[in-house]
Amino acid sequence: MILTGPKIKEEVQNGNITISPFHDNQINPNSYDFRIGNKILVYKNEILDTRQDNPTEEIVIPDDGYVLQPNKLYLGHSVETVGSEKYVPIVRGKSSTGRVGIFIHITADLIDIGYVGQYTLMMHAVQPVRIYPNMRIGQVTFWKTLGDIVLYDGKYQKGNGPQSSQVYKDFDK
Amino acid sequence: MILTGTEIGKRVKSGEITLEPFDNDLMNPNSYNYRLGDTLLEITDDVIDTKKPYTTSEIKIPNSGYILQPGKIYLGVTVEKIGSTKFVPSLIGRSSLGRLGLFLQITADLGHLGTSHHWTLELKCVQPLKVYPHMRIGQVSFWQPEGLSLLMNSYDKIGGNYSNYSAPKPSIISKFE
Repeated sequence: MILTGPKIKEEVQNGNITISPFHDNQINPNSYDFRIGNKILVYKNEILDTRQDNPTEEIVIPDDGYVLQPNKLYLGHSVETVGSEKYVPIVRGKSSTGRVGIFIHITADLIDIGYVGQYTLMMHAVQPVRIYPNMRIGQVTFWKTLGDIVLYDGKYQKGNGPQSSQVYKDFDK
Repeated sequence: MILTGTEIGKRVKSGEITLEPFDNDLMNPNSYNYRLGDTLLEITDDVIDTKKPYTTSEIKIPNSGYILQPGKIYLGVTVEKIGSTKFVPSLIGRSSLGRLGLFLQITADLGHLGTSHHWTLELKCVQPLKVYPHMRIGQVSFWQPEGLSLLMNSYDKIGGNYSNYSAPKPSIISKFE
């Protein structure tokens, strides 16, 4: 079951959902709009390797915007710190974002219960497109769970700014 | 409602969820990580015609890895047999792979209730990306449905097209009416 907008607000007030900062005018009928922060990471190498720590460089999106290019991956972040120890969040782009060909997540829309932090946005543009800091870019929904909850305590916890992949750590195991 | 990791584990024990082989280390708070099998298929036609069968060629991923190229669709397969007679599976990639620009399932992440099989993975990368056999590549979650189930556990019998495969299975889109 998915939470309605008014229920999201109620659970933010009850402390069962974290959305910070929180603004009433970003509530939708069954989701909450989040904004994109001004930091982007790009990988320095064209060819990426899941077994390596792929080096990145940071770009600051100026107030007059930054053009995303196709065939390149960008990691952004939400302005908001978001999470819940009671509900499972699922993120996606706003339809307004999708209508101009911007992916804001790639494959992983499901967030672990207990993760609380800024979201890392996995961004990919179909055509060149200019984005601006603090624009509303995506929405987060919250879903009820069945079963005992064990909270997330993984490598991306308390993300602040975009977090690049740490999948190479799997291979040490 | 989505099942927590604890609940997924319980339902594997009770036989209502199939995750074979099962490894507790692959459990997440609300999903289970699956691994990439060592075989990929690529489509070798320059233009794919959805009304006609297309040709594919098989790639064996060596232990030293294989570089996926942008602009192509690759079909992979899960190491695990995945499914449930009671819960609806949704199968996606891990965020660690999304952070490297790998789409896992282009658009169809929703499984059919009642079938268990090795899943064909639709892989597409934004930048060239090296992958390795048996790496943890994606996650599957399970959702509680509402309503009567359609011929429980017999998706095959009602014309399921992609069940019971243990290798990547190409699209049969040209056979649709």
